[in-house]
Amino acid sequence: MDIKTEVLIVGGGATGAGICRDLALRGIPCVLIEKGDLASGASGRNHGLFHSGGRYAVADPEASRECITENGILRKIAPHCIEETDGFFVSLPEDGLAFRDKFLQACEKVGIQTTLLNRDEVLSLEPELNPNLLSAVKVPDGAIDPFTLVLENARDAELHGVKILLHSEVTSLILDGDRVKGAKTKDRIRGEEYTIEASYFVNATGAWANQILKLVGLRIGMALSKGSMLITNTRLNHGVINRCRPPSDADIVVPNDTVSILGTTSIRLEDVEHFEVTPDEVSLLVQEGSKMIPAIRETRFIRAYAGIRPLFLSEEKGDDRAISRGFVLIDHAKRDGLQNLITITGGKLVTYRLMAERTSDLICQKMGRNTACSTHSNPLPGASRPAGLRERFKQFSAARGEIVCDCELVPRKEVEELLGTEKLRDFQDILHRTRLAKGTCQGGFCVYRLLGVLHDSKMLQGDSNKILKGFLEERWKGIRPILWGAAVKEEELIEYIYKGIFNF
Amino acid sequence: MHYDLIVIGMGLSGLMAAKTAAADGQKVLIVGKGMGSLCLFSNTIDVLGQSPTAMKMTDALSQWIEGHPLHPYSKVGLKNVEEALSSFLSLFPLPYSFQTIDNRNCLLPTGAGTLRPTFLIPTTMVGGISVDEGRELIVGFKGFKDFYAHYVADQLRCRGINLELPDLLSQEPTATALARLMEMKSFRENTGREIKKQLQGETRIGLPAIMGTHDPARVKDDLEGIIGAKVFEIPILPPSIPGMRIFNRFKEWLIRKGVTFLLGYSVSKAALKGKRCERIEVLHPPVITSYSADRYILATGRFIGGGLKADDEKVVEPVFNLPLSQPRSRENWFGDSFSSDLPHPIHGAGILTDASFQPVDAGGNMILENVWTAGSILAHHHCIDEKSREGIEIATGYAAAKHALEK
Repeated sequence: MDIKTEVLIVGGGATGAGICRDLALRGIPCVLIEKGDLASGASGRNHGLFHSGGRYAVADPEASRECITENGILRKIAPHCIEETDGFFVSLPEDGLAFRDKFLQACEKVGIQTTLLNRDEVLSLEPELNPNLLSAVKVPDGAIDPFTLVLENARDAELHGVKILLHSEVTSLILDGDRVKGAKTKDRIRGEEYTIEASYFVNATGAWANQILKLVGLRIGMALSKGSMLITNTRLNHGVINRCRPPSDADIVVPNDTVSILGTTSIRLEDVEHFEVTPDEVSLLVQEGSKMIPAIRETRFIRAYAGIRPLFLSEEKGDDRAISRGFVLIDHAKRDGLQNLITITGGKLVTYRLMAERTSDLICQKMGRNTACSTHSNPLPGASRPAGLRERFKQFSAARGEIVCDCELVPRKEVEELLGTEKLRDFQDILHRTRLAKGTCQGGFCVYRLLGVLHDSKMLQGDSNKILKGFLEERWKGIRPILWGAAVKEEELIEYIYKGIFNF
Repeated sequence: MHYDLIVIGMGLSGLMAAKTAAADGQKVLIVGKGMGSLCLFSNTIDVLGQSPTAMKMTDALSQWIEGHPLHPYSKVGLKNVEEALSSFLSLFPLPYSFQTIDNRNCLLPTGAGTLRPTFLIPTTMVGGISVDEGRELIVGFKGFKDFYAHYVADQLRCRGINLELPDLLSQEPTATALARLMEMKSFRENTGREIKKQLQGETRIGLPAIMGTHDPARVKDDLEGIIGAKVFEIPILPPSIPGMRIFNRFKEWLIRKGVTFLLGYSVSKAALKGKRCERIEVLHPPVITSYSADRYILATGRFIGGGLKADDEKVVEPVFNLPLSQPRSRENWFGDSFSSDLPHPIHGAGILTDASFQPVDAGGNMILENVWTAGSILAHHHCIDEKSREGIEIATGYAAAKHALEK
């Protein structure tokens, strides 16, 4: 199966999915290839903050301006992926008010609307906050569901004729003079190998950017920064809680549906594939986070996880101080004389659309086409669908029937509908597309049930205990760091089910 | 109210201790906030499932005792372990009884289609021994989410079917709801007839372990009569109906013997005076009631039962604040992989006792002269990995009560 297309996009994160939607809406044929599932890199492993740009207003006004503009656009095109919670930059006594004043000025400069709230005002909105706080600044932060965002971009692209190849990787790039002619690729599940020929190639692989560039002997200056996060068992805050001080470890708590996500750390990494949350990071997150929300010390956590931020290092010699949270678009024609290769990396989830727009603009310019971007005004397919907890509850009460996941109330019907409509390759793909395994027991019950449903529908046969054991090991990586308090009880239950009752 | 003995904890070890004391004519109070792990995990009685199936249990135990001097079995001693098991067995006369096959472990199928070694097997599960002939039919129920017939059948390489459930359920079909249905003659007969209709020469029928709480042997006989094939139960995700049968049987027997049964309340405090426990306080919201006794047995289980609690630094025992054997720091509680070859160190944590199950400090000195401990809360066992949970509970419940009565 060899494929010919106009543009090949490598990487199925928010950026890659955004680019293929953008190009598709401009009528440019493209193919997206992703070595795992959609949103399996940093796009799916972040705290789900819908940035107002406030966090970068002081240090990086340009990135901040991009954030607030995109913030406004995404509210219109992806309302079903966003919970409009607002956010608060909270000043604690030890922080003083000097940074707050700088912050207020910086926000005004980049156009982020702020409201200064006194102690009592903010405590009435966020009663779990440290009662000794000095003041808080309200900004238009929110919570975003990154999975849905990426899936929706991909789905819309597919509706416009884009081919998306998941669990497939680029193994080599074929050069022809100063151009890339094609990509040799491999389906990681079936082992099948094939070639994709294209006129243009986009490297949208985020933290993996240099692994693709290595295939043509190139390298860009990039730092990998691990950010670790903890998920609480209950939601502690209505809005996003930020610490009003220069960006630092454990300075944010993002609400997300029924939980809160406590983040983050920042640790330089060398290896993009192997990383885990360390006990020190967990202690730091709890210790620092509880300064903003004291209940964090007592609360139960359900999982720890980490993602990798790809940070672009300025290429000017000797200048390593300006690691921007903004994005970089590299035209390898200019930089390296490779005419049809583009790398896009860095940036924030909230600026994915802008990154896609700029990349697509560059491609159009190279093609000599003059088609304008329309993603800023063209809502995602699910945008008209009502979203949020209220909607989920309505769906749930209408669904009846068997509930596969008791923690997150996922009905069997939802799983079966998904099996009928999507071409899923891996049982993890199902976990990505539902709330299965996201609740208190973290899949301790429902993954066994999911495999049971797959056996019932003949989609699985043979030894599924191997899959289940693999899942339990994967799950363990996120569970082990948070095992104290009530979580130890849950784990005793899960361990006794699998090692006891099922004799794994 | 004053008692001869108060047992704290209503899992298998507490029940066994209460039974042992009541059989001796003691005035006993048993108090517990729940039914313990019995109703979550226990289906059969494990004694030492990790020992080879070829070995007689008596030999396996005596070897084990020799190699593990601190293990609860070693404190009980082989003779008393066997006495305790007999005492347990005497509570379950036919038709719903427990039996061993040639005094060895044997393998029974599970809800994941694996085979699992165990020792004492209830009447309803005996038919599942050595399912390796491909002559089984695994039967599940549509809408019941804790058992998947095809999953089990695919692992065991036999056939699976799912039966429709009647629409009369106004609630989710849980294991307990199905167990109640199975006790209805009409449901059971319909189920039997439907299975018979779908038979394709299979000679054994595996059902999830939901064959009634009160008279499972009757359910089994009726089904076998209609289908004309052997029927056996397969252990599934919690809750455990077979565990509830054990609990109910103990409860019925203990109450008949005059034991005071206080289920659903937890002990909020133990009042001590010097080296003696004077009384316990039980929280009946909104009031607290005190109960006193000459002797006390603590059998509150591990983390799920609430016998042990983990904060972010250490493990504690909340009722008496007894000293525990435990790993040095939280980083050492669990291993790097879920199913590592070695048990997670935290599972070896527990209460230190002398040979008569009285709690001691690290130096081996007795702490409380009228308190004994029993069950999984004890240190120096790994009941998950050893597959010894019920055996330890039965043996130590029995032994702790015997020691308490002697003093």
